[in-house]
Amino acid sequence: MAISKDIAVENARNDLASRLKINASDVTEKSVEDADFPDMALGAAEDDEMSGQMITRGWRIKLEAQGQAFEYRADKNQVRAYKFKGKNYRI
Amino acid sequence: MNRNNIFIHIALALVLILVAAFAGQLSRWRKQWKSQMRIVPAEEKKKAMTVEDISLSETQSFGAPEILVKFKTGISQDAIDRLTAQRHDRVEDRFENAEGWDAIDDLDNTDAATLVKEYQQLPEVEYAEPNYEINLDEATAGPLVPILPHDPQFNDQWALANSGQRGGKKGADISATTAWAKTTGSDEVVVAVLDTGVDYNHEDLTENMWRRPEKMEPYHDKELGTIDDEFGFNAIDTSADPMDDNGHGTHCAGIIGAEGENDLGIAGVNWKVQIMPLKFMNASGSGSTKDAIEAINYVIERKKAGVNVRIISASWGSTQKSRALGDVIRKAYENDILFVAAAGNSTVDNDRTPHYPSSYDSPNVISVAALDRNDALASFSNWGAKSVAIAAPGVDILSTWLDNQYEEKSGTSMATPVVSGVAALVLAEHPNMSVNELKKKLLTSVDPVAALKGKTVTAGRINASKALAD
Repeated sequence: MAISKDIAVENARNDLASRLKINASDVTEKSVEDADFPDMALGAAEDDEMSGQMITRGWRIKLEAQGQAFEYRADKNQVRAYKFKGKNYRI
Repeated sequence: MNRNNIFIHIALALVLILVAAFAGQLSRWRKQWKSQMRIVPAEEKKKAMTVEDISLSETQSFGAPEILVKFKTGISQDAIDRLTAQRHDRVEDRFENAEGWDAIDDLDNTDAATLVKEYQQLPEVEYAEPNYEINLDEATAGPLVPILPHDPQFNDQWALANSGQRGGKKGADISATTAWAKTTGSDEVVVAVLDTGVDYNHEDLTENMWRRPEKMEPYHDKELGTIDDEFGFNAIDTSADPMDDNGHGTHCAGIIGAEGENDLGIAGVNWKVQIMPLKFMNASGSGSTKDAIEAINYVIERKKAGVNVRIISASWGSTQKSRALGDVIRKAYENDILFVAAAGNSTVDNDRTPHYPSSYDSPNVISVAALDRNDALASFSNWGAKSVAIAAPGVDILSTWLDNQYEEKSGTSMATPVVSGVAALVLAEHPNMSVNELKKKLLTSVDPVAALKGKTVTAGRINASKALAD
């Protein structure tokens, strides 16, 4: 089932809260923008992950927690944490 | 006769001479045009015409006649004449070798694009398209037979025939229409599309999908067991069903080999070919190195079993290098299989930041960058003076999508199957060509593109017509 923008943002907030071991209410949504990502892993491929080299329309989700900025990337198929402590994660 | 009358008569005589001279020149131009351009339907292609000694560029003509119109069966010539007269147009010519087609000349100088739209809307018209002017780069060439398919969305396929539509640069294409004068492909050539799978039921693909020959045993692998690979292979769940659940693989397959001249959708670089669908990327468009290796291994084994699979099209990648993946690609080389791979979309220099599999140093790998419709390197495309071999159209590329749909997509993913498709065309004409010869042929058959100087090995855009030259 296709993921909507709202669901993507909610998933991102919950994932960040889980990774930081805080409440989702302590995660602030800074911005959500439409974006073209360079590939089908949204420019956030995990190690050992190959992805289709097609420009992919999605959303760049910027969150803030514990005084730090975090970025998530999403499209209708997936949500990804971008360089969370230097690594990418598929949620 | 007084002096004034003499001057008037001399002036009139001069005017008459000039009018006669101009009319004579018009007639010569018209004859010249007719001798240079002829549209030939696919079934009537003549092998006598060669494209080796000519270089063509196609432009949309705004001279006479403006458009070519195919009227529906049963519409009489009288009715056509009346219809065109009502619109202040006239039938300039009928093509004896293309039944039902009329060249329509607009007397109001309406532009061709508007005229095409107007005629498309008429109930009597089956299809209308702009008249393409054929420009000879060398005046000594013989009669020309560019092949224009009647697939309804062909006019949007700028990669194959760029007439300047939607602000593009005329002639910035792969010269497919002149290549098709020589071959439109062969169902003896098999191209493996290693991707998210392929919608093998798509109306514009189904006739060109590979099916395991009846006499061939199902695929057997020591670890995976026996798989009844009637349609291809799915490395994700090691099953026999490579159905696409994303769309990316179906798009790439259509670029290589959407059936041509079938009155549906688009035309592939090959109108006839066999596409072997392989699925190793999931519904999100990602996959693992292990599954990619498994699928390439499948291709090699099928080649050994007698399938004429000569090309793997790989519109995917990452910056992670895997020695195992590099090894299996080299194994494909040893089995005479070309490996065409996307250069990547991160706007980086692959000489400094390699992208795999396109950066593997195996002799069968061709790394492909993307061009836009103006012959500029696509804003997203990776490049590499030493590591990226060639460029091909890869922006706003129309092709097949899931559920009998068609979509425009961009990426080196889209440029890659253009090159794979041209490779298949070459093999259709030269089936015994080795992978080394094939690669050399493709890389020496480019149109130089200024924007690619210092950006790719060949500094050129692939040209199907040149690649088919002997």
